[in-house]
Amino acid sequence: MSANAPGTPLPQGIGRITPGWLTIVGLAAVAVALGIYAYSLEASEGLVATGLRDLGTMGGATWGLYVTFVVYFGGVAFGGVTLAALIRLLRLDELRPIGRLGQLLTVVALLLAAIAILVDLGQPLRGLVNLFLYARPQSPFFGTFTIVLSGYLFASLVYLYLDGRRDAAICARTPSRLRWLYRLWAAGYGDSPGERARHRRASFWLAVAIVPLLVVATSTLGFVFGLQAGRPGWYSAVQAPAFVTLAGVSGVGLLIVLAAVVRRVAGSEDRLGLNVFRRLGGLLLGLVLVYLFLLATELFTATYTGEVVERRLTEALLWGEFAGIFWAALAFFLLSLALLLWQALTRRWSIPLLVVAGLLVNLAAIGKRYLIVVPSQTHGQLLPYPEGSYTPALGEFAVIAGLFGLGVLLIALFMKVFPIVELPEEEVPAGA
Amino acid sequence: MRNVLTVLMVVVGFALQAISYFALAAPWVTTGVASGEPRVVGAPVLFIAGVVLVFLAAVVYELLPEKRGR
Repeated sequence: MSANAPGTPLPQGIGRITPGWLTIVGLAAVAVALGIYAYSLEASEGLVATGLRDLGTMGGATWGLYVTFVVYFGGVAFGGVTLAALIRLLRLDELRPIGRLGQLLTVVALLLAAIAILVDLGQPLRGLVNLFLYARPQSPFFGTFTIVLSGYLFASLVYLYLDGRRDAAICARTPSRLRWLYRLWAAGYGDSPGERARHRRASFWLAVAIVPLLVVATSTLGFVFGLQAGRPGWYSAVQAPAFVTLAGVSGVGLLIVLAAVVRRVAGSEDRLGLNVFRRLGGLLLGLVLVYLFLLATELFTATYTGEVVERRLTEALLWGEFAGIFWAALAFFLLSLALLLWQALTRRWSIPLLVVAGLLVNLAAIGKRYLIVVPSQTHGQLLPYPEGSYTPALGEFAVIAGLFGLGVLLIALFMKVFPIVELPEEEVPAGA
Repeated sequence: MRNVLTVLMVVVGFALQAISYFALAAPWVTTGVASGEPRVVGAPVLFIAGVVLVFLAAVVYELLPEKRGR
């Protein structure tokens, strides 16, 4: 590869700091600082600083907002890299520009999920050490924490690294302060036909290995709830497939939002054209339909033939304490479905409408994750305890805001260091 | 050499996963004290090491240089 002349700008605005970018990074940093402060209070005072309480005797919930977001971030992570792997496996070349976005989304979301679960532990260090020493394979947590948060994260990092070597080699041709990083990342990549073929083979087999790993990993998250026979609302055969489907919904929805933002700020209108969004919209439509079918099945079973506690729990969801969140989540799902269906039927796809649909399904997914985690603990007691309650403390909201801030910060920083959209083939002459 | 090393890493990785899961952590033991903890302390770490090794094979496959003259 030949070097570019000094002064040649790096692609996609890399290294160019704009006032808009600084504002976003500043706001994200404030959110992170707030989250760290809130967590420091929790760490010094203990979990009593949160709204979490023991089940039954204390009438509370031991899993609350943090676990809700562990599940949510895990879902988002699933959607990102699965799509990236499917693009490679099914040769969906049209969607290739969003492959790296998907990989990045997965890595960031998994980091956030890992932090969220550590925050949920009263003694994070004890959890970290004991989990690796004594985790029991009989427990679905084994899959969640070994496969999801270790293997899955590592696999995604490998995928992101190898897929980025070609673009790193292209960026290394331009003299810049980051050249050392690009050279390190490229690791001698010269884009020869042999290297291209080898990368195609490696990516294909990585994708083959990653897709089943992701399905198993996300299913184990569902099994954490679905295998608990003594917990009405959780014990269900559709829990794992519903988890995987909702993971796809939230992942693809967030990818649409992220792609629209990147399209605008990185000047990638040509790479992230309407055809990419049309494909993503079609995929999201299919996933939302499947998820709504699973949701209806679950509700129908619970209300038609459910046990006493199961029915009481469903009443709390439909008409009681959680009705607001339930109906809001359902309304968001249905609204996004209407938006997507209308675009699909009229064949008039609109990026702003797709972004709205992507945001709506994510809000709905957060609500649904909360409804999966909390009500079964407060209203699903088989023992004769009175109904409990859970109200997240302000500190919990602050920690979650900090996590979102960290996610935005990581993605914004990545965008200023590396091409977030894969560079087109024609920029590299074969065998250069 | 590169192909051999890659295949070896994949085989060892999967073997490590299988051994650590089925033999060292022994998931089928469902009664008694033995079901409380893995038979060998650190079995989950070995399992993770196996997963990591399999995916690291892809990096080795791509990064190891071609044989001279090819």
